[in-house]
Amino acid sequence: MPFELRETRLPGVGVKWTATTAHGSRLTVIQHADGTRELYVFERRRDEEPAAVVQLEDDEARQLGAILGGAYERPKIVEELEMAFGELAIEWVPVPDGSPAVGRTLADCAFRARTGITIIAILREPEPVAGAQPTDVIEAGDTLVTVGKLGQYPAFRRLLAQGPFGNGDAGADAP
Amino acid sequence: MVESLTLGELAVTVALLAGLGLVSSRFGLSAIPAYLLAGILLGPHDPTLFSLIEPSELTAFLADLGVVFLLFFLGLEFTLERVLRSGRHVGAGGSIDLALNGALGLLVGLAAFGPSFEALVLGAAVYVSSSAVAIKGLIDFRRLADDETDLVLAILVFEDLAIALVLGVTATSGGSLAPTLLLVAKALAFIGISLAASRWLARPLDRVLDLLPRETFLLVTFALVVGMAAVAEAAGLSEAIGALMAGVLLAETSVRTDIEERFFSLRDLFGALFFFVFGLHIDLAALDDVGWLLALAVAVSVGGKLVTGLAAGRVGGFTRRQGVNAGAALVARGEFTIILAELLARNPGIADATAQRFAAFAGLYVLATAVIGVVLMKESRRLGRLLFPQRPRLDAG
Repeated sequence: MPFELRETRLPGVGVKWTATTAHGSRLTVIQHADGTRELYVFERRRDEEPAAVVQLEDDEARQLGAILGGAYERPKIVEELEMAFGELAIEWVPVPDGSPAVGRTLADCAFRARTGITIIAILREPEPVAGAQPTDVIEAGDTLVTVGKLGQYPAFRRLLAQGPFGNGDAGADAP
Repeated sequence: MVESLTLGELAVTVALLAGLGLVSSRFGLSAIPAYLLAGILLGPHDPTLFSLIEPSELTAFLADLGVVFLLFFLGLEFTLERVLRSGRHVGAGGSIDLALNGALGLLVGLAAFGPSFEALVLGAAVYVSSSAVAIKGLIDFRRLADDETDLVLAILVFEDLAIALVLGVTATSGGSLAPTLLLVAKALAFIGISLAASRWLARPLDRVLDLLPRETFLLVTFALVVGMAAVAEAAGLSEAIGALMAGVLLAETSVRTDIEERFFSLRDLFGALFFFVFGLHIDLAALDDVGWLLALAVAVSVGGKLVTGLAAGRVGGFTRRQGVNAGAALVARGEFTIILAELLARNPGIADATAQRFAAFAGLYVLATAVIGVVLMKESRRLGRLLFPQRPRLDAG
């Protein structure tokens, strides 16, 4: 469950966010007016002295944020990742076993035209595909990194799992 | 007396400021006391061993620019939004601080000068904490995550507001009551008009400044700042408040961060020179004269701020130990105390001897409280445990 985040203005310094984790640690992030961040880590919620204070430049902080957000590697236990920005979302969607999309190019599947969802990258071993092209072929075990509106995802998932995709599709018996 | 400052002397001065600033930063001190000390050492008064720089029209001009930039930057931080959003502690915490330390300061002022205008200004100089020292300490000693830090910063915002008014009248008023009241009214009007202008003028100003090429942008902003300082001076107020309000005016514009980036180095340079030049005028021989006053003021104001922290902490729902932390952060006095002394020295209604005495007091008082304040801040947790030994109940605060 997401933790409760408390935001406070620190006049003359910047903004402060404080949160207590499910395991009882306290985290405080200070965003200074000049863009640097400070991360205060308290092992227990009521500790007076922080166990560590980490200072981060703006680009480092954003990189760390992406790592924590799972953008670099999906934690094993998490099936699907989702980052929502208002209506817009970035989702990591695994290609289901037996998906009729396997073996087809992105152009064949026409996800964007049919559901509005754009594939921006494909995560696969050993080498992920960073800027996915229409000619890229979906393989079994792929995870698709997608951008779209939250409401477009149900149709996208249905299409990815069941098709139908174009000519001579064996899975075309789906509704 | 040599009426100029050679490039060689300037180089030595600035190098010394850099060196001392580095040393003080290693000890966790803000650079302000270090710059003051450099001025005292290199100045013409006791101790005369290293006397190298004579105060001159040039050093006075450099100091002038320092005041203008210091206050301009303060103004840039000063938006209505910031005051409104700085939290629930501003009103209560700030009022307790003003009532307690304002009264104590006034007491010190009366003891020093008798019932007079300079007693009032001394009261303000003793009342106002140093935002620069406090914020540096909070960052260095890793206190930003503490809840009571919110209280400290809120009180500092309140003090900034209160002192802005005093700054407006310090350089000119005094004498009888009626003209002083008129000046206070003028200062209030000036602040009010500027705040209103910052709301209505910000957009057009923004559009103009945004269109300007780089060099012109710098010059136009500079002209605006110095121009507002001059307008305030012409209105019989101090230039300090003009510069402050120029900052307020630009605080709501989108070019604010641009300005901050561009002028940051200027503020640091001229700010350092301002504190240094102020140090030049301090005569340690005056210690005989102001020594008892200094001891009284230091004792009273250290105690006063600690009690403020406890009382404001109690009202704000903090533990007593947190109150000690908050109080300790407020002990150091700094930039405003010095600026007030400088402005008073320019007041034609104040006798030179009085101004001299005031300046010596202010300089030494800042040196003493800044050092004590930083030590207290560093040790405030231990102090809190010492004063309030029982473990706070786990369900409290």
